[in-house]
Amino acid sequence: MAQAAVPQHAAHGHDDHHTRLSNENQKLAMWLYLASEVVIFSIFIGGYAIFRVNNPASVKAVHQTLGLVLVTVNTFLLLASSYAMVMGLRAIQMKNRQQFMMWIGATVVLGIIFVGGQWVEYRELAHHEITLAGISDQFGGFGMRFYAPTAFHGAHVIVGVIWAMVVLWRGSRGHYDNNPIGVEIFGLYWHFVDVVWIILFTLIYLV
Amino acid sequence: MATISVPIGQRQPKTRMPALADMLRWTVDHKIIGMQYMVAAFVFFLIGGTLALMIRWELMTPTLDVMQDGTAYNSLFSIHGTVMLFLWIVPMFAGFGNYLVPLQLGAKDMAFPWLNAFAFWLIPPAGIFMLMGYFMGQAEAGWTSYPPLSTLFGNDGQTMWAMSLHLLGISSILGAINFIVTILNMRPEGMTLWKMPLFCWATLATSIIVVMATPFLAGALTLLLLDRVGGTSFFNPANGGDVLLWQNIFWFYSHPAVYIMVLPGMGMLSEVLSIHSRKPIFGYRMIALSSMAIALIGFTVWAHHMFTSLQPELRIPFMISTMIIAVPTGIKMFGWLGTLWGGKIRFTSAMLFSLGFLSMFVIGGITGVMLANVPFDYQVHDTYFVVSHFHFVMFGGSVFAIYSGIYHWFPKMTGRMLDERMGKLHFALTYFGFFFTFFPMHMVGMLGMPRRVAVYDPQFQSWNVLISLAAFVLGFSTLILVYNIMVSLSRGRVAGANPWRALTLEWATSSPPPAWNFDEDPVPFEDPYGYGTQAATDYLNAIDRTFGVPDETPERGGALRVASAPSGD
Repeated sequence: MAQAAVPQHAAHGHDDHHTRLSNENQKLAMWLYLASEVVIFSIFIGGYAIFRVNNPASVKAVHQTLGLVLVTVNTFLLLASSYAMVMGLRAIQMKNRQQFMMWIGATVVLGIIFVGGQWVEYRELAHHEITLAGISDQFGGFGMRFYAPTAFHGAHVIVGVIWAMVVLWRGSRGHYDNNPIGVEIFGLYWHFVDVVWIILFTLIYLV
Repeated sequence: MATISVPIGQRQPKTRMPALADMLRWTVDHKIIGMQYMVAAFVFFLIGGTLALMIRWELMTPTLDVMQDGTAYNSLFSIHGTVMLFLWIVPMFAGFGNYLVPLQLGAKDMAFPWLNAFAFWLIPPAGIFMLMGYFMGQAEAGWTSYPPLSTLFGNDGQTMWAMSLHLLGISSILGAINFIVTILNMRPEGMTLWKMPLFCWATLATSIIVVMATPFLAGALTLLLLDRVGGTSFFNPANGGDVLLWQNIFWFYSHPAVYIMVLPGMGMLSEVLSIHSRKPIFGYRMIALSSMAIALIGFTVWAHHMFTSLQPELRIPFMISTMIIAVPTGIKMFGWLGTLWGGKIRFTSAMLFSLGFLSMFVIGGITGVMLANVPFDYQVHDTYFVVSHFHFVMFGGSVFAIYSGIYHWFPKMTGRMLDERMGKLHFALTYFGFFFTFFPMHMVGMLGMPRRVAVYDPQFQSWNVLISLAAFVLGFSTLILVYNIMVSLSRGRVAGANPWRALTLEWATSSPPPAWNFDEDPVPFEDPYGYGTQAATDYLNAIDRTFGVPDETPERGGALRVASAPSGD
């Protein structure tokens, strides 16, 4: 085994066993982390679902005041960003740094547009007096149950965008040329955020 | 067989005892981090213990005397409970896990050393948040913080309480991910899961609970914080919320969490009982699997905390699942008793505390089954019977296991033995102090004394005086341990690599271990608990030859009295 005092990035190439173990460790850790994220999101999603079942009238009223166009475009953009993520990982695995930069760059841009779109929608909702505070909400507590999961998800997108920028910067310096695990780990996170949004979109906007 | 082949004297320990300054240093060495956890947790234990003694002082008389009002008393027991559970037991076990898991696996460090350090350094700020709440109106809704007490009432201290728990939750989750990855991926060649020390099994089970349960607390706390500062009303029925939401989410976390707080202790017990009775552990696989069973079933029992607020038709299913969880616990008990049966039992301080665990935890377990009975629970709900039950589990169980672990692994961590005479005194005072503090609480509980009140019916006073006096003895006993540690650090006998002649890998290196734990990759013995065979004796002798056995000549100031090493196997 390599002396652990050697910095990690200097260790690749000449110590395959160490790199492989480290990659396995990172992947398992990311899956475990995502498992714990599933739990947190399930609380917010469950809170909304129970409200949806008990108050179909107020949810219907909200749906009638709001359009689906903006959020549908937004959902499409986030899905597209996941595609860009996959292509970026593929590019770096084939050691094509330029394409990697392009695709991950696209992920960043799409993520930022998604957050912007969400902001526009929040403004619109506020205009319709759907508020976070339960006491002033016109729809019997829809607001807090809507904002909590979507804002928590939005925070995850923002973290993801920052992370993508770091991946981009490190990738530009050749950090992933020999071992693209860092990109793969970020990809797991980004796809997770995407999947959560699909659930939120279906549950809150479609049904 | 070991392949330790270096001649005597070549591997003299080049290590030094960790200094106090190391406890305040950023480091990624899992051994230092483990000790940082333990030292920090012990400080909080002393704080929580002081609060407990203040509670007992107040309860000496049926009227308010020490506290100015009921609110102050509410804060007192709220912070006592929270500090003891989240800043003492949980980080203390995390400390043992950090120290021991890589060593027992023969690894150089945890899988993610930096993450490990980060997880630890979330704890001091969390503790400061918790205690600083005092200056802005301390939390007073109990450690369970049910709304509306914790949302519509209460001061900013309650917000600080929630933020503190949030930090501790993140710390636990990161630590647990680290443990799972380390245990699953970093075992040495030849050590399958079924040859892993039982402490590692217990840590694995605990970590799975942490990863799957602690996020529920994080979610609940987020909603609580939103209710307190964001103007939402998730828990306020007046504006479309639901108070039971908190109770369900909180207990869905907190019931599994009581296993977070006891499973590692059970793992330590499996080590100590086997080593100090020189016998293979009885039913290794059953003990390992029962940890997993407890972790799993632990998620199905949460609503037994809510019998009085639950829909009636759900009471019986939760009563049944709660009783079922006593089965894997009972399997462990019989496994431990089977281990002791016919063993060469050596009554060291570590062993005494483990035996203390056995006797006290059984009482806590039995009262747990009593409380699972809905009709009985109705009678003693929110009385001192409940207080007694969970102290038997948390103190009689977890803290006894922690004490046992301290006596057992202190030689490995510091290279010095703890004094046995003081250890036995510590045990005697703790054992009797504990019993007479908490056992009479069963009686006052069944007589109807409610918990969480400072003013009670004068008919309970004689019981309460007895309880308080015993509690002061219990509090004093802790100081003996502190004194023992301080004296033994400077004057204790040099321990050598393997003072208990144990077969697990943490003893196959010098005490304290060098920077990367092992000078060459260690080879685990075929069975971590295979005591009493010729192969085990040969393996242990090889360790002694490699690392040397310290001579018995007293150091400066004279050696304290220590347990002698077992001979033979």
